[in-house]
Amino acid sequence: MKILHAACSGLLIFAAAGAWAQSGGPTDPQIAAIVVTANQVDIDAGKLAESVSQSKEIKQFAQLMITDHGAVNKSATELVHKLHVQPESNATSQSLKQGGDDNLAALKKLKGGAFDRAYIDHEVAYHQSVIEALDKTLIPSAKNEELKALLVKVRPAFVAHLDHAKQLQTSLEKSGG
Amino acid sequence: MDDCPLTNRNRRQFTAQACRVVLVGLLVTGGVASAMSEAGVAPKTHVITIENMRFNPEVLTVQRGDRVVWVNKDLFPHTATADNKAFDSRSIEPNASWTYEARKAGEYAYVCTFHPTMKAKLTVL
Repeated sequence: MKILHAACSGLLIFAAAGAWAQSGGPTDPQIAAIVVTANQVDIDAGKLAESVSQSKEIKQFAQLMITDHGAVNKSATELVHKLHVQPESNATSQSLKQGGDDNLAALKKLKGGAFDRAYIDHEVAYHQSVIEALDKTLIPSAKNEELKALLVKVRPAFVAHLDHAKQLQTSLEKSGG
Repeated sequence: MDDCPLTNRNRRQFTAQACRVVLVGLLVTGGVASAMSEAGVAPKTHVITIENMRFNPEVLTVQRGDRVVWVNKDLFPHTATADNKAFDSRSIEPNASWTYEARKAGEYAYVCTFHPTMKAKLTVL
């Protein structure tokens, strides 16, 4: 059930990203909204995990997500102000927000090891989806060079977070926690 | 003809003398050079850039007494923390740096404690 939920969240982003294939990709204001929403969703999940989880490793990971995704959003917000771009809500940013809300609602029903597993499963699926969206949609579509450069610059962090989340996922499976 | 042996002898003496001068010169130069390295005169400063979630270079060898500066060019805080805790930068903020004076010889595997996938090695000779 939890894996299904995580997979669905991922699919939702893929489906939304796939929709751009027909329309020629998102505009820069739409990309800005997608980036800010994607990061905010993970910050919110991190805040919940930091307060609910009893595991030191999970809490540290959650704090890292709050710090790193907060840093990405700070840079993105500074850039859109500089470029006088107004982030524009769109199908992808809305589905990201919905997926984030659904995830929080599902996580709030869980405790202990079940919470940790569901949180980390979702983090793995979420980071995979965002990397996919960066590679297939966001980076190729970005028109402004500074916006494109920012997306390229943050990509390695998403990869590192994904590897980190996978390591935690494996250790949770081993411990049966 | 009489002068020839003398000349030859002189030549030999001159050559031998020249050899001694060169030899002494080499010894002196070598001595000074080794004294300089032992005294750690003019230690070097090495820069490791932290960018794109990597330490660059990932493997670095320095001499004892050298300085190693980690410069964080990422958007995120990082650390440079030896596995055996021989050194620990603690949080290096974006666009900030941390300097370590390598006083003790050894091989130090280190990581960013925030991002455990970031691994590197510093060797101090």
